Amino acid sequence: MKREPFFWITISCGLVIMAFIILPLIEMMTAPSLAMLKATIKDKDVLRSIWLSIYAAGLASLISFSLGTPLAYLLARSDFRGKRLVEGIIDLPIVIPHPVVGIAILGVAGKNHWIGQLLGELGIRIMGSVTGIVIVLTFVGMPFYLNSAKNGFEAISPRLEKVSRSLGASMFSTFLRITFPLAWRSMLIGIIMCCARAISEFGAVIVIAYHPMVASVMIYERFEAYGLKYSQPVAVCLVSICLALFLILRILTGGKTREA
Amino acid sequence: MRMWSWSGFSSCSRGGCRWLRYVMPALLLLSPFNKSLGEISGNIVVFHAGSLTIPFAKMEGKFEARYPGVDILREAAGSRKCARKITDLKKPCDIMASADFTVIDQMLIPKYADWNIRFSTNRLVLCYTEKSKYANQINSQNWYEILSKKGVVWGHADPNADPCGYRSLMVLQLAEMYYRKPGLYQRLIDNRPRENIRPKSVELIVLLQTGNMDYAWEYRSVAVQHELKFVELPDHINLGNYRYDDFYRQAVVEVTGEEPGITIKKKGKSCTYGVTLLKDAPNREAAIFFLRYMLDPQGGLKILQEMGQPPFIPSRVPTAEMKALLPAELQPLVAVKN
Amino acid sequence: MIRLENLNITLPGFNLSDINLSIGENEFFILMGPTGAGKTVLLEAIAGLVPVKSGKIIIGERDITTLPPEKRGVSIVYQDYALFPHLTVLENITYGLRFHRMEKAQAEKRLNRLLDLVNLSRLQQRLPANLSGGEKQRVALARALMVNPAVLLLDEPLSALDPGFREEVRSALKRLHQSSSSTFLMVTHDFAEALSLAGRAAVMNNGRIEQIGHVTELFEKPSSPFVADFVGMKNLFKASFSGTHAMASGLRVEIGRSVDPSSHYLAIRPEDIVLSREKFSSSMRNNFSGTVVKITNQGFYYEIDVGVEDISFKSLVTKGALIELGLEEASPVYVSFKASAVHIF
Repeated sequence: MKREPFFWITISCGLVIMAFIILPLIEMMTAPSLAMLKATIKDKDVLRSIWLSIYAAGLASLISFSLGTPLAYLLARSDFRGKRLVEGIIDLPIVIPHPVVGIAILGVAGKNHWIGQLLGELGIRIMGSVTGIVIVLTFVGMPFYLNSAKNGFEAISPRLEKVSRSLGASMFSTFLRITFPLAWRSMLIGIIMCCARAISEFGAVIVIAYHPMVASVMIYERFEAYGLKYSQPVAVCLVSICLALFLILRILTGGKTREA
Repeated sequence: MRMWSWSGFSSCSRGGCRWLRYVMPALLLLSPFNKSLGEISGNIVVFHAGSLTIPFAKMEGKFEARYPGVDILREAAGSRKCARKITDLKKPCDIMASADFTVIDQMLIPKYADWNIRFSTNRLVLCYTEKSKYANQINSQNWYEILSKKGVVWGHADPNADPCGYRSLMVLQLAEMYYRKPGLYQRLIDNRPRENIRPKSVELIVLLQTGNMDYAWEYRSVAVQHELKFVELPDHINLGNYRYDDFYRQAVVEVTGEEPGITIKKKGKSCTYGVTLLKDAPNREAAIFFLRYMLDPQGGLKILQEMGQPPFIPSRVPTAEMKALLPAELQPLVAVKN
Repeated sequence: MIRLENLNITLPGFNLSDINLSIGENEFFILMGPTGAGKTVLLEAIAGLVPVKSGKIIIGERDITTLPPEKRGVSIVYQDYALFPHLTVLENITYGLRFHRMEKAQAEKRLNRLLDLVNLSRLQQRLPANLSGGEKQRVALARALMVNPAVLLLDEPLSALDPGFREEVRSALKRLHQSSSSTFLMVTHDFAEALSLAGRAAVMNNGRIEQIGHVTELFEKPSSPFVADFVGMKNLFKASFSGTHAMASGLRVEIGRSVDPSSHYLAIRPEDIVLSREKFSSSMRNNFSGTVVKITNQGFYYEIDVGVEDISFKSLVTKGALIELGLEEASPVYVSFKASAVHIF
C-alpha cells in the first residue's frame, strides 16, 4: 500500500522529536564510567541530596493534593464571576521565571514582611531550610496538580453526583463514593506531574536554600567545584531513580479500568 | 604595501632599519583592517566576578554607546566558576575578570590564557541593614561579639566557588590573631550553619534586603553600590592593603581542588582583581578595544574608583616577560610591578 | 403528594415564574412542553438540585423548600440513565440503602421485587458498560425506587432509547407505578407517550404552566393556541364568531352550537378532516373545495396540506387512502369535517 506524504511527515516529525530528547540524555547517561557511578552511589552526600529531592517533592505533591483538590472541584463544577481570573492566577507559577519565584517567597519570608516576622516568632525558618524548599516546590508544582484534577472532575457528568444526592448521599459522601473513584486516575497523574516538576526545580530552590542541598543544586555545585566529570554521575543517579519511580506509578495507574 | 615585503623585513634584522619597528604599527593603524575609526562590531563575551557586576554594567553602557555595533554579553559568577565554564564547559569567552587574580594564574594560564593584568583592589567589610539584629550597636570593635551571639543570622559566600568566600574566612582567622582571642574563629564558624552559605557573595545581598539574614561578608565596593550599611575593619584584617601581606599570609583556607578529595590551600593575600584575554577569544579585535577602555584611567578605572573599588593606576603585571606578551594596544596602559 | 406554590426560579437562560401545581398521592403526573420550556429545571428544583428564588415546595406535609437534596426523599431518573459506571447493577440499585434506614429483611424483599418488576435478576453482576439502553434505564428506575421515595421524578426517560426499547421501559414504568406508593412525575415532549401513560398532565411553555388537566382533556379541549398546537391540533385559525358559525379568513365554518363571542380561535384535529375527490353529501356540515398544496410522508401516514381559499388545512391519510384518492400536488380535492369536530377557545 502506498503511503501518503502525510504519513511520512508525521513519522519524520516523531523521529526528530524522539532523537531531540533521547540523544543528549543518552550522551549524559553514558558519559560517566561505571567506577565513577559506583563511587557516586556510595557517596553519602549524594544519596542524602537525592533523598531530600524526592522527600521534598513528595511532600509538595501531598500538600498540592490536599489543598488543591477542593479548589479543583470547585472550578470544575461551578461558574462564578472572576472564574477566569482565578484560573489565570493558578497558572501564574508556570509562567514566572524560577529565580523570581524564589525571590518572591524570600521577600515574604524575611523579617521585613509581617508574615516573615510571624514565622520568625513561631520559630519557623524559611531561608535555608527544608520548610522553605517544600514551600517553593509546592508553589511551582501546584498548578500541574490543579489542572489535572480539574480536568478529571470535569470529565465526570454532574448528573451522577445529582443522582447520588437524590438517593440520600451528602456532598461529602457523594465525593467519596462517586466522584473520587471515577477521578482518581486524573488526580494521581496530577500528583505525578507535580512531583516531577518539583524534583527538577532548580532556579527557585537555589535562591531559597543552597544548604540543605537538593539533588539539582548538588549537580550544580559539583560542576562548580569539580567540573562536568563529577556532576554527570549525580545527574545519572537522579534521572535513573526518578525514571524508576515514575515508571512504577504509571504502571499502577494503567491498571484495571472499571469505567463505562 | 611594498613596505610589507619580506625584503624589507630581512634587512631590518641587521638593525639598520630600526625605524621599521615604529613604522609597522603606524601602518597597521592605517590598514583597512584597523577599526580605531569606530568600526568594531559583534559580541564580546565577558565572564566576571559577581562583585564587578555593577561597575561592569556601567562600563558596558558607555562602551556600547561609543561603539553601537558592539554587544557586550556579561556573565557574572564566582570567579572559580567562571574559570570552570572556560576549562570544562568550553564555553566561548573573550575576557575573564576575576576577583582573585590567582584564579586566572592557577586555572587558565598557560592553557587558556597567556597573561594576567591586575587592575584593582578591594577589601572586605561586614554588611547589614537597619533591620538587622543589634544593628544600632554594632561597630568595628564589637562586631565579632555580635556575630557570636545565638540567633544572629550571618553568612558568607561558598569558599569553593567564590573568592569572597574564602576571603571571608581568612578575615575571621586574622581577627582571631589580631584581637588576640584564641578560639574566636571556631566560635564564629560554629555560629554559622551551612544553610547560611551561598555560592555567590552578591546573593547574600538579597537575603539582607529581605530580612532573611542579619549580617553578610562582602566587598566594600559591593556594599557601597547596594547602599548597605557596613562595618569597616582594621587594615590588618580586611585584606585590603598589600602592605600587610605578611600578616595576611597567616590565614589559610582549604578549598576543593580539581577532583573530590583533593584540596588546595589558599593563603591570605590582599584582594587583587585580575583580567585576561582568552587565547581562543572569538572576537579578539573588539575585546582588545574593550580592555583598552577598561584599563584607561579616564575610562573603566575611573568608574571603578567612583564605585568604591580602588583601581591600580596604572594597572600592572608582575614581570617584564608577561608585559611583552600583552597586545600592543594595551602596552601603554600597563606597568610592571609586583 | 406534591404541591408547588408560587414557585419562581431564576437561572442563566431559564426563568420559571409563578408555578402553581398540585399533584395527588401516588399519581402518575406528566409534565409536557417543548424543549426549553423549563421542565427539567422544574424537576431539578423539586429534587433540590437547583435553587429556588421564591415560593414553596411541599411534599406530603413537609415544606422541603430549604432542605438539601439528600433529605428530601425525592429520587430522579435522567434521560441518559446516569448509572454509576464503576459499580455493578446490584451495587447501583442498592446504592441509596446506605443512607436510609431500612431493615435488612425488608430491603432484600424490596430488592427482589424490584428486580423482578424490571426483569433484571439475571444481570445483577454486570457493569453498566455491558448493558443495552433499555436495560440501563430499567436499572436506573430500580435504583430510584429502591429507597422508597415519596416522589419519583423522571426526566424524559424514554427519549434516549431506541424505539424498540421504549415499549419495554414504558411497560416497566407502568408496572412499577402500580406496585409502588410513590408519586410519579414524568417529563416528556412526546404527547403520544403522555397519552399512553395516562393520568393528569400539565403543559409548560417559556417557564409558565399553560394548562393543567387530565391528558384526554388537554387532548380534546386545549385552552390556548399553544397547547392546541402542542397536542397536535394542527388546524388552528383565528376567527370571529357569531351565532353558530365562525368566519375564519373569509371562510364560513359551521360549528353547530352557540359559542361565547369572545372566543378567538377554532381548531380541528387533522384526523377529523376527511378528503374526497368528489363532493359528497354526508352529515358533515362543513364542506369545502380546495387544492392539494403539499404532501408530506410521515412514515406510516401522509400529511396533506390542502389550500381552501386563504386557509390551509392539514389532513392525515394512510398510504392506501392516498393511492386510492390518487392525490398529488395541485389535485383538486374536497375537504369535509363535522361541526362537532371544531374546537373553540
